[in-house]
Amino acid sequence: MAANAGEGAMRILRESPFPLEIRALLKTLCDVGFFERSLLIGSWVMPIYKELYGVAYTLRTLDVDFAVHVAHPRMRLRADLEQLITGIGFSSFLDAEGIQKFSAGGYEVEFIVHRRGGRAGGVRSLEEWKLNALPLPFIGILLDFAETAVLEGSQIRFPIPEAFFVHKLIVAARRLVAAKRLKDLEQCAALVPVLADGKLQEVMDSQRLGKATRKSIVVSCRTINFPLPRLGLD
Amino acid sequence: MAVVEKDEVIQGLLLDELHRCIAALSALETKLLGFPKGALNVRKKLHQTKQYTYHYLVHREGGQVVNRHIPSVELPALRKQLEERDRYRKEIRSYKRRVAYLEKLLGSQRRGRSNAHTS
Repeated sequence: MAANAGEGAMRILRESPFPLEIRALLKTLCDVGFFERSLLIGSWVMPIYKELYGVAYTLRTLDVDFAVHVAHPRMRLRADLEQLITGIGFSSFLDAEGIQKFSAGGYEVEFIVHRRGGRAGGVRSLEEWKLNALPLPFIGILLDFAETAVLEGSQIRFPIPEAFFVHKLIVAARRLVAAKRLKDLEQCAALVPVLADGKLQEVMDSQRLGKATRKSIVVSCRTINFPLPRLGLD
Repeated sequence: MAVVEKDEVIQGLLLDELHRCIAALSALETKLLGFPKGALNVRKKLHQTKQYTYHYLVHREGGQVVNRHIPSVELPALRKQLEERDRYRKEIRSYKRRVAYLEKLLGSQRRGRSNAHTS
């Protein structure tokens, strides 16, 4: 595993791109060591890229996603995140599929874990954090390549742009809703100017991608006119 | 990216947001059902020289006002539940406002688009 391949120089977010509720949440998660291995993912990573790399992208949704690294399925309790998150004013609820979510000021927080193959849905119980999470494929790409930035004294981890880019290329082609696919590809297109070929190659080399996944990447790359050789594909 | 595609992205984002809000609203309203109904009321009674304080949970049941006495040992837990309930209510209000706003926005976008097609 190419764990934390992007980690190195820590950067400082001078202006917080997050609203108050999310800042409080990030601080709470940071204080209990959540970001030692887990990270912020989803559309809220784009404002960080904007701040750090000058990525021009402004659209964002109100759902805030976190990818949770599962070290061991029976890890002992580290922190009761449900209690901590509701303690800072979030309301906890289960959605129709039984996935735990938190809401404050209209922002919806969800935790996601990497799913290895298969189509099975359901929820994954995380004893380490006393939460349940949604298992999704390809989250490992994001977890394996992360970097850290400091926001108001808290260290926040998030995927490096190259990992975020490859992940979006894959999921875009698998989306059933055209608008979501376009949003993913638009994020990819916005990231192109800041991508480093060496890191892209590193991300691609670390993954054992199946034929269908490679095809997804090719389809997405063609849509945004991204040269396949930069990913080591032809 | 072309303007039409961009519009589709924003439209899709708004629609997705609307669906998310409706689902969250429904889940929050279900959760709210588990909390006690009513408001906490305090009655003070003077008996000889001593003043006694009694707490009641006041709520309506089939048009009638019901006062349920709350023993002092149950009071802290009930207060906590009522606070939590109010937080859920506040969250529900914010989702309702957002749903109304998104419906209005999507409605006007759709109308605008159909007008553009006809002109």
